[in-house]
Amino acid sequence: MDGLWLDLGLVRYAPAFALQERALAARLAGRLPPLIVVQENPPTLTLGRDSSPDNILVSAAELAARGIELVEVNRGGDVTYHGPGQLIASPLLYLNDLGINANQYLHRLEDVLLEVLAWFGLQAERRAGYPGAWLGQAKVGAVGIGVRHGCTFHGLALNVDLDLAPFRLINPCGMAALPVTSVAAAGQRSVTMQSARLALRRALASAFDLRLADCHLADLSG
Amino acid sequence: MDYEVVIPSTADGALAVRVRRWLAAPGQPVKQGRDLVEVTTEKIALYVAVPADGVLAEIRVPAGNTARVGLVIGLVRGE
Repeated sequence: MDGLWLDLGLVRYAPAFALQERALAARLAGRLPPLIVVQENPPTLTLGRDSSPDNILVSAAELAARGIELVEVNRGGDVTYHGPGQLIASPLLYLNDLGINANQYLHRLEDVLLEVLAWFGLQAERRAGYPGAWLGQAKVGAVGIGVRHGCTFHGLALNVDLDLAPFRLINPCGMAALPVTSVAAAGQRSVTMQSARLALRRALASAFDLRLADCHLADLSG
Repeated sequence: MDYEVVIPSTADGALAVRVRRWLAAPGQPVKQGRDLVEVTTEKIALYVAVPADGVLAEIRVPAGNTARVGLVIGLVRGE
């Protein structure tokens, strides 16, 4: 299948989320081919549909003082942190086109994370009952999706090279004192966001049999 | 005619699906294709669409309860 790769760069989560919703509506209306939206965000906590307020360990005032935005989102899962140096990819794909169900799709995203990490020489693993990509006991990549009318949205997040301290302000994914790591913290100090983008693009294209072409915001609004 | 609102097969039958939110109340008009109910698994949020234009006649599985794939969780009475 031909598909589009839309790299938003570093953007605030809320407008990027609104854009993804609009793109999803266009996809559902048959006005867009398969699309993968990629972004980095300034410091942000997102609350999935299964979030508990108890999993944010500091006050809203302290989050604001630290410049961390709080956004409620319509993906599965609990609270997590996003920041510069973390890549988020949100494929908008029909499960019927892929011939898999939502749970298999979630595993496919985990495979993508493992492949990208392997590209950087890191042997990450799945952990039964704990979705995501793990380096030992530490989580390095997360998955969380939405499915509307058979079309996926949200997707995966890979910690490439980011300040991990804000994860201590929450119970990531609802798990107390969950160790979190990144490609850089795991030893690949020379990793660049550009190399991570390329590895992620290649792994997603392969996992979903997509021939991806770059597109820009202006292409979507036309 | 009544149309069944069913937990879609795109969710894995082995997973517990929790009904999070009905986006219409019984008696309220609903339009085919719009989101009617939000269900979640551990990492997946699924939106179940209104099966036909009409009125939400019955909610069989209220928010907060779990349901398996294929279960009829509500009924829409067609126009």
